[in-house]
Amino acid sequence: MQTTLDAYDTPAPDHLRDHPKHWRNRKAGHHWRTHDEEFDASKLGMWLFLTTEVLLFAGIFCGYAVFRLLYPEAWANGSHYLDWRFGGLNTVILLISSWTVANAVRCAQLNNQKWLRINLIITLICAALFVWIKLQFEYMPKLGEGKAPGTFFSYPFAQDAHEPLWWSLYYVGTGIHALHVFIGAGLLGWVLYRSWKYEAYGPTEYTMVENSALYWHLVDLVWIFLFPLLYLIH
Amino acid sequence: MSHAAEHNAELGWNPEDPHGTNTHAHGHVVVGWRLQLGVLAALLFFTALTVGFYSLEKWAEVAFLIDLPNWVNIVGAMSIASIKATLVCMYFMQLRYDKPLNTFALLFCLFAVGLFLFFSMIDLSTRGWVTEYKYGEAQDGGTGVALDADPRDARFGIRISPKVSTGGQNLIDTRRAEYQAKWMKSHEGATEKDWWAYYYGHVKHPQKMSDDTENYFAQLGFDSHGDELSTADKRVVRTGRTNALELDEHAGHEQAHSAAHGSDH
Repeated sequence: MQTTLDAYDTPAPDHLRDHPKHWRNRKAGHHWRTHDEEFDASKLGMWLFLTTEVLLFAGIFCGYAVFRLLYPEAWANGSHYLDWRFGGLNTVILLISSWTVANAVRCAQLNNQKWLRINLIITLICAALFVWIKLQFEYMPKLGEGKAPGTFFSYPFAQDAHEPLWWSLYYVGTGIHALHVFIGAGLLGWVLYRSWKYEAYGPTEYTMVENSALYWHLVDLVWIFLFPLLYLIH
Repeated sequence: MSHAAEHNAELGWNPEDPHGTNTHAHGHVVVGWRLQLGVLAALLFFTALTVGFYSLEKWAEVAFLIDLPNWVNIVGAMSIASIKATLVCMYFMQLRYDKPLNTFALLFCLFAVGLFLFFSMIDLSTRGWVTEYKYGEAQDGGTGVALDADPRDARFGIRISPKVSTGGQNLIDTRRAEYQAKWMKSHEGATEKDWWAYYYGHVKHPQKMSDDTENYFAQLGFDSHGDELSTADKRVVRTGRTNALELDEHAGHEQAHSAAHGSDH
């Protein structure tokens, strides 16, 4: 299998040859023996952080399971209020963005600066599309009809007394997920900026690309479960 | 080679270049683009499959007039989601080529999630045991029946939620009554019958009536009055979509009678 070693001898552009932020001039922290150790430790730290994120969403999934068992009618009605086409479209958008961000890591590993940026830009466009679809076709029409969480609920045609509870869970689940989309897009935007300005990422220095990509994949993972739970199971 | 030098070599540490800026003992694996594209294709395929499974199940229920058990739907969707998640973790997140410690961290976390769900389910399934002792303290939650609190937070003097007082009713019945009052006002000369016709024209799940809806259609016997509702302590499984056919005529008559009396005051 190809490794980052294969791409190590690619030339650096003249204006960045001596820039401290260019990937070739980055040194490992003084408390690390090698770049590799720093990279591995950083990645393990990211994974530990991701496990806490999984546990955060586990609370929402557990709440979903408990309420679903207690109030099956409200949950069946709830999923019928949602249109799977918007959820499905957003799933496809997130999967494609996950693929482009995985490609961005690959391009950083191979010192392909141009395609690193193109992949990141496509990912950011996907993030914007996801949020736009969510707001334009889901949150806005639903809130307009009064399908709001908890005491804000004012939809007059509800059929089950626990439907406000369903909407609470729906908005908390998808809302926290959307917050993660914003944070992930912010991280990737930062990576794009530094890549654009300093060519900061390359075969020996791509920790930030890798960790931001891991975060973005987690956003995708959560949606992989939220989509069937909210839209398909009835 | 001295003992210290041997030890350093084992650690991959070179005293000449302590920060490893020039040494790269091994490179990281670069996942091939064909493999990544293949994984994306598989993920899209499984997304189509889960939607297809959902549509097929809905179609089968209508076409063959059957009510498939809930677990068919849940197990199908969750299995496909798990396969997709595994693909993302292994190839996009590169766990397959990574140090096993990262995979271990994730698996241990999933074990914790399993425990979390397991104990929650145990709690749920054994609530019946304490219902007797807790009777009078525990009540059905999430319906808005008890909503009568001052929405102003006394500590900060700010309004944190809309003022809602349901007067012992469900929140959904309160909201329907509010909307009905507004609707009657804006449609002059409309009778209560017109309102219920309008109402049922907009209801999305007419096969699932709530227990406490006193309405025109109930008077005609099209409502499923007398059905038990699920509560925090018990789960009522409802199968079949033909409630109107099972209606007890006498019960329908009684409701019409009581509704006529109710309109006096």
